[in-house]
Amino acid sequence: MAADNPIDPIHQFEISKIADIQLGGIDISFTNSSLFMVFALAATMALFVIGLSKKSIIPNRMQMLSELSYNFIANMLRDQVGDQGRAYFPFIFSLFMFIFFCNFIGLIPYTFTVTSHLIVTFAFAGLIFIAVTIIGFVKNGLGYLRIFYPSGIPIFLAPLIVPIEIISYLSKPISLSVRLCANMLAGHSILKIFAGFIVMLGFLGFAPLVFLVVLYALETLIAALQAYIFTILTCIYLNDALHPDH
Amino acid sequence: MKILLKAFLSTAPINFAYAAEGQKSAGLPQMDIATFPSQLFWLVITFSLLYLFMWKFVIPRLGATIEERRDKISNDINDADNLNTEATDILKKYDEQMASASQESNEIITNSKKAMLDHLEMLKKENEEKVNSLISESQAKIKAQEEKSKIEIRNATVDTVKAIISRYIENIPSDEEINKKLN
Repeated sequence: MAADNPIDPIHQFEISKIADIQLGGIDISFTNSSLFMVFALAATMALFVIGLSKKSIIPNRMQMLSELSYNFIANMLRDQVGDQGRAYFPFIFSLFMFIFFCNFIGLIPYTFTVTSHLIVTFAFAGLIFIAVTIIGFVKNGLGYLRIFYPSGIPIFLAPLIVPIEIISYLSKPISLSVRLCANMLAGHSILKIFAGFIVMLGFLGFAPLVFLVVLYALETLIAALQAYIFTILTCIYLNDALHPDH
Repeated sequence: MKILLKAFLSTAPINFAYAAEGQKSAGLPQMDIATFPSQLFWLVITFSLLYLFMWKFVIPRLGATIEERRDKISNDINDADNLNTEATDILKKYDEQMASASQESNEIITNSKKAMLDHLEMLKKENEEKVNSLISESQAKIKAQEEKSKIEIRNATVDTVKAIISRYIENIPSDEEINKKLN
């Protein structure tokens, strides 16, 4: 059993129940995954509640941090989508903060990484995919189908291009969710494996320790980067839905 | 502590319920379908709360603060611009006043110089006139004295001649005759 091996790299992804809850025969128990979702929520809330507790013209550090994140996402959305994206800002901002904190909290030893589970990232990606498709058809009508046939393509290439475009469109939620999940899964597994090497090698453990430190820095970068990539891709899909001509 | 330990022990069998299932179906806990409803349920709850929090609390407040700051900065820049223009105007006025003042003072200097020179000239002239009149007066006095002396000398000469002649000759010539002879 996985729990018997203290350096099993997969053990950290296991979900265990904290409180057993059944609703109409469906198991919706509060698990360690749920707990860390709540932590991500709490961390975001803490950042903004503290950051906004003293609204001042000259911001203090926490206010600076909250304003930086706000401006970062607002600028991203404006650059990618333009002014029409304003309505989706609360969602994009929440998405970024949630994934960012899930990724970061997961870097702390003995914690759980919510975003390392495909179902979570796929829930986001699926929601985004469905929402973007609906927005696309609502804003453009059947004209939204133009995204499958980019302008400037000769008509005889249509039988080739259109299926490719449809497949690439349908694979968007899969690539989006797998990218984030696989990054978290692989990164955290490697961290755990090298941490295991340190224990196993005894005195020689400093070599993997040095490597682990470097790798940890890289993982920190990836945690931020993947949150960024997930968010900016969402913005790009949203832009495609609002302006299918480009 | 005891209660916590008891609680932990009581949940322990449940703790591994998912893992045991996962072990049977697939190696990865990610593939354990039994955990999906719970994950999705709590994801919906936490993310909805986060969305509401962002939508209703964070974004309006942060937006307002940032807007307020932007306004304040642009107002301050406007104020600074206005003050700058004002300062430039004042400097211009000051320069103008300085220029007119220096012109005025130059005029005053020239005028007073001229007045001084005129006054000096006048004094000089006056003095010259005085000196000249004194000189001519003295000259006239000298001349008059000379004339007078000449006449006195002549008269004395005439008297002397008369006296000399009267000693030797009976017929004494008149003054006119003597004067005629003297000339």
